[in-house]
Amino acid sequence: MWWRSPSFILDRQQQNDTASRNPESISLSSPPPSMADTLQNPNPNTSTSAYYQTRAVVTSDWLAQAQAAVGRHPDDDLPVNDERTKSAAGDAGKPFSVIDEFNSWRKQPDLAEAVAAIRALAAVIRASQATTMMELEIELKKASDSLKSWDTTSISLTAGCDLFIRYVTRTSALEYEDFNSAKSRLIERAEKFGEISCKARRIIAMLSQDFIFDGCTILVHGFSRVVLEVLKTAAQNKKLFRVFCTEGRPDGTGLRLSTELAKLDVPVKLLIDSAVAYSMDEVDMVFVGADGVVESGGIINMMGTYQVALVAHTMNKPVYVAAESYKFARLYPLDQKDMAPALRPIDFGVPIPSKVEVETSNLDYTPPQYLTLLFTDLGVLTPSVVSDELIQLYL
Amino acid sequence: MPDTQSLVNDFLNKLRKRKIEGSQATAKQTAELLRSVISQTRVPYTNQAGALIDAVKAVGEQLIAANPIELAVGNIVRRVLHIIREEDLSLTNAAIAGLNLSGVSDDEDGAEGDEQPVLSAAVLAAAARSTLRPPSLQTLLEDVPDSAAVPHTSSSGGDSEGKSKSADKSSRSRKLKHDVIEAVNELIQDIVTCHDQIAEQAVEHIHHNEVILTLGSSRTVLEFLCAAKEKKRSFRVIVAEGAPRYQGHLLAKELVTRGLQTTLITDSAVFAMISRVNMVIVGAHVVMANGGVIAPVGLNMVALAAKRHAVPFVVLAGSHKLCPLYPHNPEVLLNELRSPSELLDFGEFSDCMDFGSGTGSPLLHVVNPTFDYVPPKLVSLFITDTGGHNPSYMYRLIADYYSADDLVVQRRPTPGN
Repeated sequence: MWWRSPSFILDRQQQNDTASRNPESISLSSPPPSMADTLQNPNPNTSTSAYYQTRAVVTSDWLAQAQAAVGRHPDDDLPVNDERTKSAAGDAGKPFSVIDEFNSWRKQPDLAEAVAAIRALAAVIRASQATTMMELEIELKKASDSLKSWDTTSISLTAGCDLFIRYVTRTSALEYEDFNSAKSRLIERAEKFGEISCKARRIIAMLSQDFIFDGCTILVHGFSRVVLEVLKTAAQNKKLFRVFCTEGRPDGTGLRLSTELAKLDVPVKLLIDSAVAYSMDEVDMVFVGADGVVESGGIINMMGTYQVALVAHTMNKPVYVAAESYKFARLYPLDQKDMAPALRPIDFGVPIPSKVEVETSNLDYTPPQYLTLLFTDLGVLTPSVVSDELIQLYL
Repeated sequence: MPDTQSLVNDFLNKLRKRKIEGSQATAKQTAELLRSVISQTRVPYTNQAGALIDAVKAVGEQLIAANPIELAVGNIVRRVLHIIREEDLSLTNAAIAGLNLSGVSDDEDGAEGDEQPVLSAAVLAAAARSTLRPPSLQTLLEDVPDSAAVPHTSSSGGDSEGKSKSADKSSRSRKLKHDVIEAVNELIQDIVTCHDQIAEQAVEHIHHNEVILTLGSSRTVLEFLCAAKEKKRSFRVIVAEGAPRYQGHLLAKELVTRGLQTTLITDSAVFAMISRVNMVIVGAHVVMANGGVIAPVGLNMVALAAKRHAVPFVVLAGSHKLCPLYPHNPEVLLNELRSPSELLDFGEFSDCMDFGSGTGSPLLHVVNPTFDYVPPKLVSLFITDTGGHNPSYMYRLIADYYSADDLVVQRRPTPGN
């Protein structure tokens, strides 16, 4: 028989202490930051990961709260001090911070996180006063490390940083050039990256069209721009299909997707998250996006994806993942708890007694054996191809 | 080129009337036809590869449309297109090497910009290489995303060559065509000899006193089993007859004449026999990019039986059977209904076929599908002429054999994006 260690009780006591100290956080029922969390995530506002603070999916009041939380902690806490340089382009007197840059890019609605990261790194190059490639690389490395440690929960941020650093350190395109032209070339490439990401979505939408047949029913979990683009293209191609959207608690991401689809005159049905198994027999295929695609070929996505994939697998329905290739990350999670948890408060509507623990993490890992195919801008891939692509790039 | 056209029409007719049996024969004849198309095509001085590709694509489109179920046709068309691209690239690279050695001055290229000619040629070659390679993470940042020239890089490579070395170009055009035909000949040779190369691996897979089960008849399987027999392996073969065509009967006879211990069973007895079988070895019609197999009808049942009893399910397939497409709804879209006379003799049920039953349609239907789709998770191993591979590794072989540009042969004017 396995018993929980006494530390569990200690944890609970600690939790009660924190709860009584901030009475306003009871209804949000945020667990205290564990030791590991504080180490991994330098962002002090641990009740929610940095990942959610500027996301478009959050409700407005929550956003206000989150922004207030960010405001309380100036960037001086963050380990970016050493590579700070004066921004060349105006911002008189204000020190350059890669994280501010990243957040300003992220505010653009159609820009993916990885793209924002790459744009922010390009800004680092622009602001840099390095005179050799080596110096620039070191500076970039530091900036990307600080970006990554600022939000350890965002897989695509990590993947975007890694991809760009890889490009800078190992590109054949820079071999023949002098330093200044190499620098401008890097900036230009980074700026093109936004286009690449838009094009990637279109490629994915084109690739997936063959798989959507007339009269099919598609189950979608979570809100993903790629999946929306896929469905939009299918609707434009005059395909007849209907979509089941899960509600996507606690963000209501499914509600958002269903409104978008209703605008396109696609028949939509909204399900509560627990109705997935109930309606699975009517479903022909499951479509999900991904926050990150990991080396095993599995995906990290919104909480509930694993569950949906398991149900679909049991009922022999294909699970298709639509994800841009810059979301491929060099991670190999072995189980659900293997990643830095992305915490997200849940509003239950009624006050929760402080003794009740609430699971607030918002991402789960779906192992590759439950996925049928991945639609990426590199083509239609089986999950095992992902590791191959990553090995080719990083070996 | 009237004679090529008549050849093409001849072949189209055969395909439409389903006169050609088996993917190997189809593949071989397609390759031979494309070889003659290439040799008849008159190539212009510039953009020779482009002209060849267009000619092959034009014919390929018709061939694929003539029998969309026979995926081997499309496979060979794509293989030949890939060969053309590859040969063009290697010629361009050789020419660049020549340029570097002879150190041609930039007097002619000066108009193009202030870049060094060597550099621009290198960039061109890199671009051409990236079109050949399937897209990967590595090329995501490197290649120029919006350049309209990318699909035609090979041709523009030819252009710049033509500009700088005008004396060389006629010989070069002849060389390209010659090289391509040579490579297509090699391809035909590969198709012809694929049985032998697969059979060579037989001893690694079949061991002493094993019991092998197969269904229907496949020449690859026959050669494979006989190769093991020749290497002094003694084993027993169980042949399921493969209704409704009963090709298993032929295979059983053939095996017996070669001196193999053979047992013939009905298809419905597969589950009864599977528990004493050590390995299932079957042939395939086509192997899809996800590792799924289009195979003679009845094989899905065998695969399920093998899975149920944890018996390895091994599929033998020559490389011409690898198809770069993904199956969607394969049970319907990639299937063909054959004549009902294979199930019933005409006349035997003629009273059931009576149209006078009021509704105007007969009460009895006879459906005779040709193929089964075996999903990749039921396949343990593929043995191709290059060795044994896992189903999830198929995409890798496919990336070696085909260019990403050729996957869709029909839609020639790519939608501008």
